[in-house]
Amino acid sequence: MTAPVASGSHHRPVVRVGDALSIPYSRRGVVVFAVLVLVIAAVAVITLTAGRLGIELPNLLPALLSDPGGKEGFVLGRLRGPRLAVAVATGATLGVAGTLFQTVTRNPLGSPDVIGLGAGAAAGAAAAGLLWPGVIPIPAGALLGASIAMAAVWLGTGRGFSSPSRFIIVGIGVSAMGYAFTQYVIARSGREQATVLASYLNGTLASRSWGDAAVIWAALAVLLPAALLLGRRLLLIEMGDETADALGGRSGRTRLLSIAVAVCLSAAAVSVAGPVAFVALTAPQIARRLGRMAGAGIVLSAATGALLLATADLLVQQAPFDVHLPVGILTAAVGGVYLGYLLIREWKKGTI
Amino acid sequence: MASILQAERLRLAYDDRVVIDNLSIDIPDGGFTIIVGPNACGKSTLLKALARTLRPAAGRVLLAGKPIDSFRSKHVARQLAMLPQSPISPEAITVRDLVGRGRYPHQTLLRQWSRADDAAVAGAMMATGVEDLADRPVGALSGGQRQRVWIAMVLAQQTGLLLLDEPTTFLDIAHQYDVLELCARLHQDGRTLVAVLHDLNQAARYATNLVAMSRGEIVAQGPPGDVLTAELVERVFGLRCRVLTDPEAGSPMIVPLASARRYDAGQR
Repeated sequence: MTAPVASGSHHRPVVRVGDALSIPYSRRGVVVFAVLVLVIAAVAVITLTAGRLGIELPNLLPALLSDPGGKEGFVLGRLRGPRLAVAVATGATLGVAGTLFQTVTRNPLGSPDVIGLGAGAAAGAAAAGLLWPGVIPIPAGALLGASIAMAAVWLGTGRGFSSPSRFIIVGIGVSAMGYAFTQYVIARSGREQATVLASYLNGTLASRSWGDAAVIWAALAVLLPAALLLGRRLLLIEMGDETADALGGRSGRTRLLSIAVAVCLSAAAVSVAGPVAFVALTAPQIARRLGRMAGAGIVLSAATGALLLATADLLVQQAPFDVHLPVGILTAAVGGVYLGYLLIREWKKGTI
Repeated sequence: MASILQAERLRLAYDDRVVIDNLSIDIPDGGFTIIVGPNACGKSTLLKALARTLRPAAGRVLLAGKPIDSFRSKHVARQLAMLPQSPISPEAITVRDLVGRGRYPHQTLLRQWSRADDAAVAGAMMATGVEDLADRPVGALSGGQRQRVWIAMVLAQQTGLLLLDEPTTFLDIAHQYDVLELCARLHQDGRTLVAVLHDLNQAARYATNLVAMSRGEIVAQGPPGDVLTAELVERVFGLRCRVLTDPEAGSPMIVPLASARRYDAGQR
């Protein structure tokens, strides 16, 4: 057995171990991923050190390595540590969900934000939290809501998930119904509960616990490998269902499995952070431009999503606003502009 | 000898609309079969069923004598390649990467890119004359170049059977013949080809087996010299014509009858 080597100057670079293992990679992709990880680390350091309550930089490493008490223990263990862990994993989760959906719909607008997945998960979470408190846990409610929304889209298109453009249009309708249901739940609830819920429904990372972090990291640990397993067949779907089927890629099955994985990812994200808007829409598009490559780019989308959400959450924590804004309001404001740009571009291309 | 690809009593439908009913066909081994017929006669639908990208409502397609859906889909993709009429070029993909996607049926989770894959991609780009374009984005190519790249993608599959759905559509006339010459060369190299074409004279020049379809049925099939008659063209296409001999290729060639306004009369 030979050592792993990267071979071929004129061919694509491949990691090889003998004849048994050979995985191609993109040089640019590896560099971009490394840079993204470094920037995420920098954002994490700033998140923990900045501001009045921040841990002083020289004390950060000892505090991370030991089990500090006092102010540092409070900031790291309660105030900012879990929040940061949730932000990174939730961002990554949304990035992967977004790239799965955009690939199977072959359209950047086919993102969980636009087609009702986030809205469905939020409605499910709201119902589980306020309408029937204690009956089902909130993550299960979010998963149920997301699944019902996707079932409604599947029925509404009249031909399942096989027509991407119908998928998007019906999804926008389902999304509106999801929001309407959430508003109904808020209207029925007491003022105090509704205030808590309103913040949650914008997508917020305030006062997250290590329990939340455990939920979202566990979901990511299971679902990211599942998405990666679908990755090569997703590349075939990009070329059209007929081409994918002719190559043995079984487009219908791939699309169904991808949607199932994306539904679980979105539900996990919503259950810990609420429906944070537009990270799923923008992260895969940014990752694609950074990586300058065709393909689903699952790992790069995850890293980009993590960076986007961690950065947005740092901004809402440190920006001099009067109130503590939910992070979802910032992502919605920035993402809304991007959605407008996408709509105009797709309209000019004639794809919507 | 049984042919490698056969269809038995196919019924093909989109939702409830039946396009083809009770159609059987044998694709001759090593032949270049070209299917012609007027619009909406079901020729592309038949090709999709032969490539198992459309599931028949009734009847079956046999690959090497066995039902095609009894094989694993990747196994079929190592025997039979199909180029659809309008495949989608992924954004920003290079020629080499697009051709490389044709290798999927030969790869596994752990062996995602073997040295045989490199060789197959290089061979396919060489055979179609696109090796100089290898690092160019597909989106920046002309229509003729792009069609060669797509043919390279299906060649990289290294199958004995090649199905092409209207490979000359959207190309100007020089590039149409360029693609057809390429197909003829691939056929001479020993592959079995099946193509759907619009142009009767092109079909007659390049086919070894011409299949004429009308309203979901096969009206005639065989060597173009036997099949292409004035009666057939009138019956299938509703066009009155004469059949001459193509002075270049020796194949039959149709010339539509002129109306009262002949060219020379119009000049006077």
